[in-house]
Amino acid sequence: MDRALKARLEARFADVSTGPIRQRHDETELRIRARDVPDVLRALNDEPAFEFQLLADLAGVDTGDHMQVVYHLWSTSSADWLRVIADDLPRDDPRAPSVTFLWPGAEWLEREAYDMFGIRFEGNRDLRRIFMPPDYTSFPLRKDFYLPDDAARSPGGGTRPMERTGAPNAVPAGTIRRTPA
Amino acid sequence: MALTGEGESRSSALVVPGSAAVGVPIIVRNDLWSAADPAAYDGGRASDITHLAEVEASGIAARDDARWSGALEIIPTKADYVLDLLRANSLWPLLSGLACCAFEMMSSATSKNDIDRWGMFPFRASPRQADVLIVAGTLTTKMAGPLVRLWEQMPEPKWCVAMGDCTCSGGRYKRSYSTVEGIDRVMPVDVYVPGCPPRPEGLIYAMMKLQQLVLDRRGHWPERAVGPTVPAGV
Amino acid sequence: MTTTARQRPSADDPRVLLDEGAGLFEPVPPYPPRTEREAEFYTLGDGEMFLNAGPHHPATHGVLRVVMKLDGERIVDLDPILGYLHRGVEKLCENADYHQTIAYMDPLEYVASLFCEWPAVMAYEKLLDVEVPRRAEYIRVLTGELNRVSSHLLAMGFHALDLGGLTPILYSFIERDEIVDMLAAITGQRMLFNYFRIGGVNGDLNHDFMSRLGDWMSRATEQVAANAGLLNENEIFVQRNRGVGTMDRETAIRMCWTGPNLRACGVPFDLRRAHPYSVYPELEFDIPTRDEGDSLARYLLRIDEVKQSLRIIDQCLHQMPDGPVMAKLPRLLRPRPGRAFAAVEGPRGEYGIYAVSDGTDQPFRFRIHDPSFLHLQSFPLLAPGGLIADWMVINASLDPIMGGVDK
Repeated sequence: MDRALKARLEARFADVSTGPIRQRHDETELRIRARDVPDVLRALNDEPAFEFQLLADLAGVDTGDHMQVVYHLWSTSSADWLRVIADDLPRDDPRAPSVTFLWPGAEWLEREAYDMFGIRFEGNRDLRRIFMPPDYTSFPLRKDFYLPDDAARSPGGGTRPMERTGAPNAVPAGTIRRTPA
Repeated sequence: MALTGEGESRSSALVVPGSAAVGVPIIVRNDLWSAADPAAYDGGRASDITHLAEVEASGIAARDDARWSGALEIIPTKADYVLDLLRANSLWPLLSGLACCAFEMMSSATSKNDIDRWGMFPFRASPRQADVLIVAGTLTTKMAGPLVRLWEQMPEPKWCVAMGDCTCSGGRYKRSYSTVEGIDRVMPVDVYVPGCPPRPEGLIYAMMKLQQLVLDRRGHWPERAVGPTVPAGV
Repeated sequence: MTTTARQRPSADDPRVLLDEGAGLFEPVPPYPPRTEREAEFYTLGDGEMFLNAGPHHPATHGVLRVVMKLDGERIVDLDPILGYLHRGVEKLCENADYHQTIAYMDPLEYVASLFCEWPAVMAYEKLLDVEVPRRAEYIRVLTGELNRVSSHLLAMGFHALDLGGLTPILYSFIERDEIVDMLAAITGQRMLFNYFRIGGVNGDLNHDFMSRLGDWMSRATEQVAANAGLLNENEIFVQRNRGVGTMDRETAIRMCWTGPNLRACGVPFDLRRAHPYSVYPELEFDIPTRDEGDSLARYLLRIDEVKQSLRIIDQCLHQMPDGPVMAKLPRLLRPRPGRAFAAVEGPRGEYGIYAVSDGTDQPFRFRIHDPSFLHLQSFPLLAPGGLIADWMVINASLDPIMGGVDK
């Protein structure tokens, strides 16, 4: 848990962060708005106080209420992983700026987030589906895309344990799982 | 996954011994896949071989339906037996490892478990030269098209081995949105090898079973009434 | 140079061999280009042609489809197409218990299964604040390094196989069979081990494992040297690999490379030392790095890493403490709501898991980060300018495993 990093982040990004900077174990978390992503990541990459030059992961998350894009960064100057959460993407039309200007390797990671969630990355030269066939119409990892598991949880699913999955039994089928992630 | 056809119990001509002990088999038509040639595979009639003892008793295995005897019809039995021996002892698989089971397939091909002892070492890269399609690994909906194309490019006589749980029934990915629950939804299978992944010894056992099928002329191949599975005009 | 749009042949064209239903297999997608890159790629220049390799091809790394734009035999551009093994693991894990997700992780990188389970259990241990007993950590490192050795030796064998050398793969598989039989003695499985558990490992080491390990370790160093010696100074191998697929430091970092591929470009980044986890701080080993960045450097680096892994295994055997192998945890796990990221250094690079928990007994979001996914992205940077045969070399030296790439 790198306290110095938290202090530096609070000093630098106080105006753009939408919540407190949390730390737990060896991770530090910064929350920003989607439109601030290019500036913040460029600052984290370039400035000598941070030097977060390695993009470890780019993930999309569907919290049920909105969507997020989560970046994990690594730097030689800090012992922590830095997690940057770009919150507040609407579920209906999620758009986020692309970071391929900084890390060209993020192109396929953004393609995957598009394929799985429908998040459109503005600035990505190649935003097409990567896993699903090109004529697929749904976005599988969205919370309103149901697997047969959810059918098993519905009243039509049957009563025997073999027919029901281990899904949370209190949750009726068809509800979108939500979490304040 | 719910089966699309309803279970129909057939009042077949087969006599089920001790019917109190053995239940009536549920035979479900395969509506999900059909051959390009409507007369192939007995015209889509479900197989009535449901009990191994019946196979022996009904004499199906001893039937001589040698389409391939051709000029050798004068001496049908012995020469076809030799042909079957030739085919069984040099089944050349097609390299079609899709996922993890491919590694156990390769392990069965390499020094420690050597299927070259049964003549199966050359894993052909081209389907035109292969006899057996060992599908090893999960079949996804995107890959199903190319795999069926590979199957159709293989010349007769050909056999198919479903290796691994994913190809038998979908395995641990049965509930997924992008896998095919078992390759028998898209192509006819002769031998199923369960396991995740099956040990090389398991695959060897399956290939020995396949050799037995070839010699006994059982499985899908002898039941094909007419014609190959590729579309006409090729 | 005039660019001509590719015409689809009509049904009367004598080149069309299949009938209407089957359709000619065109690498060009049957819809207008949807992105800038698609338009740029699927437009042919003067004298160029498309060649489609895959998804079924003898290169044994899995079902990868690559559309190459060729000028003669030189590759002008390359478009890798994935997804032929996409099994929806992330979605399936959202509907499974935490313990069940560990079993879903194995088939991702199936030659390095333990490294797929490891970040998952680490992320859960962070969410649950579980401390793993030291003996369990040592066992994890020991079995993990064995898995790394087997993966790298297989990579070496496949590297030669893709170049046409059919012998080294047999030697690799001898070693791999011995190692997996060893691991089967404690895990019960030859391949998809399902051995790591939240809070430790599934079972302790046993006599069978130790005797097999002792036998193998006594000849491991000479065996590895002998296997590597088949290829290290083989003129054909060296000439086909030297200078092929050269990647420089800065581009490798920008393309998010990790693992031996990155270290072969001169960047000494290894998560075991850069961001230490488990008991790696207590173990002595070096991080081999090479500067050239070509395929030969990647191959030689993997051999170096095998030697370091043997050192680590030796130390683990000597330093192994006694104690329990699993922390006491309730059967039904409900971690606190929150997020956790964990990454380990696997044979191909950084395997990361980002787990979001919502307080129930199933993960809310289970994100798998795979290194081979990013290595494949660099094909359009490395392959153009070379021959098709050079692409085979690059593919083999980057050592992707499509199970992880496609999830």
